[in-house]
Amino acid sequence: MKFSITGVNHKSAPVEVRERLAFDEDSLPEALLELKRRPGFCEGMILSTCNRVEIALTCEDGAASGVAVDEFLADTRHVARDWVTPYLYRFEDNEAILHLFRVAASLDSMVVGEPQILGQLKTAYTLAKQHGALSGFLDTLLTRAFSVAKRVRSETDIGANAVSVSYAAVELAREIFGSLTEKKVMIVGAGKMSELAARHLRRSGATHIFVTNRTHERGVEMAQLFDGEIVDYTRFIAFLPEVDIVIASSGAPHYIIMRDDMKKVIEARKNRPMFLIDIAVPRNIEPSVNTLDNVFLYDIDDLQKVVATNLEGRQHSAEEAEAIIHEEMERMMARLKAREVVPTIVSLQEQLEHLRTSELARMRSKFGTLTPEQEQALDALTKSIINKVAHGPISELRRQASLPDGHYFITTIRKVFRLGD
Amino acid sequence: MGIFWLRIATALYGVGLLHAMAVLLRRKAGFLKYALVAFQAGIVLHLVAIVELTMEVGHLPVDNFFECATVCSFLIAVLFLFVYWRYDFASLSVCIFPLVFVMTQVGAMQTPMLSWPSPGVRSAWLLLHVMMILSGYAALLLTAVASVFYLIQERQLKMKKGVKLFSRLPPLGTLDNLITKSMGFGFVLITLGVIAGSTWASIESGTAWIKDPRIALAFITWGFYLAMVFLRATAGWRGRKAALMAVAVLCCSALTWAAHVGLSQMLAK
Repeated sequence: MKFSITGVNHKSAPVEVRERLAFDEDSLPEALLELKRRPGFCEGMILSTCNRVEIALTCEDGAASGVAVDEFLADTRHVARDWVTPYLYRFEDNEAILHLFRVAASLDSMVVGEPQILGQLKTAYTLAKQHGALSGFLDTLLTRAFSVAKRVRSETDIGANAVSVSYAAVELAREIFGSLTEKKVMIVGAGKMSELAARHLRRSGATHIFVTNRTHERGVEMAQLFDGEIVDYTRFIAFLPEVDIVIASSGAPHYIIMRDDMKKVIEARKNRPMFLIDIAVPRNIEPSVNTLDNVFLYDIDDLQKVVATNLEGRQHSAEEAEAIIHEEMERMMARLKAREVVPTIVSLQEQLEHLRTSELARMRSKFGTLTPEQEQALDALTKSIINKVAHGPISELRRQASLPDGHYFITTIRKVFRLGD
Repeated sequence: MGIFWLRIATALYGVGLLHAMAVLLRRKAGFLKYALVAFQAGIVLHLVAIVELTMEVGHLPVDNFFECATVCSFLIAVLFLFVYWRYDFASLSVCIFPLVFVMTQVGAMQTPMLSWPSPGVRSAWLLLHVMMILSGYAALLLTAVASVFYLIQERQLKMKKGVKLFSRLPPLGTLDNLITKSMGFGFVLITLGVIAGSTWASIESGTAWIKDPRIALAFITWGFYLAMVFLRATAGWRGRKAALMAVAVLCCSALTWAAHVGLSQMLAK
């Protein structure tokens, strides 16, 4: 049996290629059924996300899986095989297992450590299972990959710190306020970025959202989006003492929140801390506001710096994660070897039993007539001899199976007992 | 008779003290309305006491520390009432109520009270005083440490170095909560400890104790604590100022504690 993974990812193929190879939700079931129908294929799973399309396969020994997968991909996605082949990578056996583990642990992702890939992999697994494309080896392997990913996540900081500007803002807010429940947020200038940041804050527990915008209608729209309140753009400064977090992203060409404003605001708040996020370019908040006590101002560059620091941290965690994956690989290989040893044990037992019965048949006539008790004793005697002979090799086979060089021993046993192939 | 009215006034001011403690511990409005009624009644009796004492000695009684404290606390109380009426400055009560209570209570000790009913009560009383003061110091220590953490965390957030560096420290909000709570508890414990201690000293050694500079140091420390609690509750002092203040009060407390070792034996003589 051969295991392989064939596919494209963000490193091997540009988006123009990936988008043509991607399977949408509706075409996946049909593709899985088609995959099962192909000759020589045993099990299969198709993972299709915006950054990767991968087909994991187990096939019978001797089947030319490489060409067959390329053909399958070209046929189902209606592209020429010659066109797609240069973009494809293929991993087999050990390498394929390693690749699968790395993908599941999000080490192969564009943003290393991003959590979505595991969910996508699980969905692909479930779908393949529903369509009967998984049975045995690949099933076990995928389940193992999920627990490896879990282990990486819990034992390293790979997913710990935000690597997007809007998440970084939420994390900083947590660093300032602890819990965000009941915190009030004001959005100054309704835009895509501020909407995203507000969405994250709201998901983290911030309750009241105030929106102020130069064009009233757009502000109202956004306020409705968050069940928030609209505040008059000309008077929003007066509302600031009430809010804990301000997200500024208006298109104003000059500062709209000045140091003197904030000084009064923070006094009115009795020095309760305030977090100002200025994601507008040109900036909306006078930078010297950050010199005020208990006011924390982060502009877009500051947030990006935080993101960059976190990314460096992730790189470090990724190294730890690789070590975990290698450890898990070794365990997996040991298990696989332990499985390989079973056929050897079975054929050894069969071989000895065959010897016993044939020898018994050959010599039986020399004994003359025997009572049923004697017959039984003879049978028991011979069985006991072959069991005692087999005991040593079998227990040693089991032990050796989990050792790195175990396969030498297995080969030797096969040769010694003439077990054939 | 004057001292009797003064003691009743002290008891009425005690309602105000309880209000201030409730505000500090629960961060709620307390029961200002009732406390104010009691406070005003206390002022009336306080005035009665001063008038009677004046008639006894023939002039305004400001001859010793106790009499000065009595008159001074009366003036503070009247001033507060004026400020409250004129500027609606209710949060000042958190500071004034305990101050007026402690000063009037000390003033009322100019005529020593009864003696100890039994040696057991005497030592239990002293133990209670020591335990409350020490627990108060422990809370103060916690406040100071949390304030320094707050300061560090605040600096790091201001420097914008990224989240990873300060993940070991709790968020500012959590520290702030801890500071507020430990400071409130510490203040309540130390105030009760000061009241218990001064009563003990008064019963133990009449009026002589007040002249000891170490006693003065204790009252000054308490005064600093009162100022710190007040600044935090009303002006919301946080960060650098709050950390410095907490450390200063802690040092002051340590001095007081060191000075008080062996004081009880001396007072007992």
